Amino acid sequence: MMRSPLYELQKQLGAKFTEFSGFEMPLYYSSIIEEHFAVRKKLGLFDVSHMGNVLVGGENPEELLSLVSVADVSKLHPGKSVYTTFLREDGTIIDDLIIYMISTNNFVFIPNAGQNKIVVPWLCEHAKKRGLGVEIKDVTLEWMILAVQGPSANEAMQKITDYTLDRIKPFECSNITVANAPVLCSRTGYTGEDGFELQFPTRKNGKVFSSIFETGKEYNVLPCGLGARDSLRLEKGFALASNEFAGGRTPLEAGLSWTINWDHEFIGKGAVLKQKEEGNYERTVYLKCKERCVPRRRCEVIDNKKNIGKVSSGGLSPCLKKGIAVAHVKHESREIGKIVSILIHKKEYEAEMIRPPFIKKGEC
Amino acid sequence: MEIREGLLYSKNHEWVKVLDGKAKIGITDYAQSKLGDIVFVELPEIGKELKKGEVICILESVKAASDVYSAVDCSVEEVNDRLSNEPELLNKSPYDDGWICIVSMKNKDQPKELLSPESYKKETEK
Repeated sequence: MMRSPLYELQKQLGAKFTEFSGFEMPLYYSSIIEEHFAVRKKLGLFDVSHMGNVLVGGENPEELLSLVSVADVSKLHPGKSVYTTFLREDGTIIDDLIIYMISTNNFVFIPNAGQNKIVVPWLCEHAKKRGLGVEIKDVTLEWMILAVQGPSANEAMQKITDYTLDRIKPFECSNITVANAPVLCSRTGYTGEDGFELQFPTRKNGKVFSSIFETGKEYNVLPCGLGARDSLRLEKGFALASNEFAGGRTPLEAGLSWTINWDHEFIGKGAVLKQKEEGNYERTVYLKCKERCVPRRRCEVIDNKKNIGKVSSGGLSPCLKKGIAVAHVKHESREIGKIVSILIHKKEYEAEMIRPPFIKKGEC
Repeated sequence: MEIREGLLYSKNHEWVKVLDGKAKIGITDYAQSKLGDIVFVELPEIGKELKKGEVICILESVKAASDVYSAVDCSVEEVNDRLSNEPELLNKSPYDDGWICIVSMKNKDQPKELLSPESYKKETEK
């Protein structure tokens, strides 16, 4: 099993570890709930080095990246990033990811844990097939990724960099120096709070995590694990690859149609367009339960005593103290405001179909 | 980690306090620390009859559901309703405020099969 370069430090900080896509990563340190609230109210620090880093450069890398992604990457400007998906020819999602344009002919993207092994050969194949002079380099094992998330992230991070962080707007990125180490800093994340993600080669930058942790103490920073990462993203309705589209859903079925730019050509476009026109594909719905309960993956969704679908991600919202779930249902069953129920341990719990997120900014 | 004197323990990490043919049941400090934050408790219905080893209650931590087994043949007399809205009591106070239920025992000899604090301590060190 692979480990983050910070494994020993995390162990010292009391991390309880879990296996995730071949990596042994912290599940939590003190308590998932406490870590969740730290991020919502103040500051949390995540190590997400299990995720991939892939550099794309050479000649016209944007041409290849546009071809393989539902976003039109050729429209990106240096210092900008975009959340997108890569599709197979049949329109199903291979992976969801953020592509960052660092400078002209210089991109990096972050595939999900383990997906770099699938995505990189697949990209190389398409580059070769089309005779593109693109250089693709998988630096997953040489790079680290930290996420500094929460309302105090900007203020805390500003103390350890000379760069004016206000200049980095949401979904923008810049090469800056943090704690004397050069990092690619972006205002992105997976928690729905303000914050940054830092990507950098591990080799010379062993102190970035410790510096943020020490500086963050003034803001009651907590080191956070994958448990809080999951509950935080769920409250915002963000998709988790292994739950929401593992096994082959299209962006339409996975609730990610908003990521598609239809005005450019991309692999899988024909299949997704056909599905869109036919219209009878499964819908992603967001279910907010009326009471405290814990819907889990694979729980049945019931409408009028009939099974209409299944939960793909669910849990107790620490902020709402009610059950929340993402589910996939028959197309005709989706209706905002409709009351259905979720079957948990043979008992039905009422839930309303809402538009995500479950928690708005500052609501917790 | 606390293993309290004056209680009996099961290998499934429940504690039992015997009082006049009745038993108060909860989970141990060791169990709560392994489960992590408990966010939901499905309490048994009052009057429910259970055999030793049957599921008396379901606990949901953030990451997983866990069954609590009855350590004795019993019928449920009283449940700790506070747990419905404050399941975190199981984490904060597993031996006091976080008790799960009180049952009347069908077989007064059964507690003898349970573990002493010393034996339970060995069980957690395995």
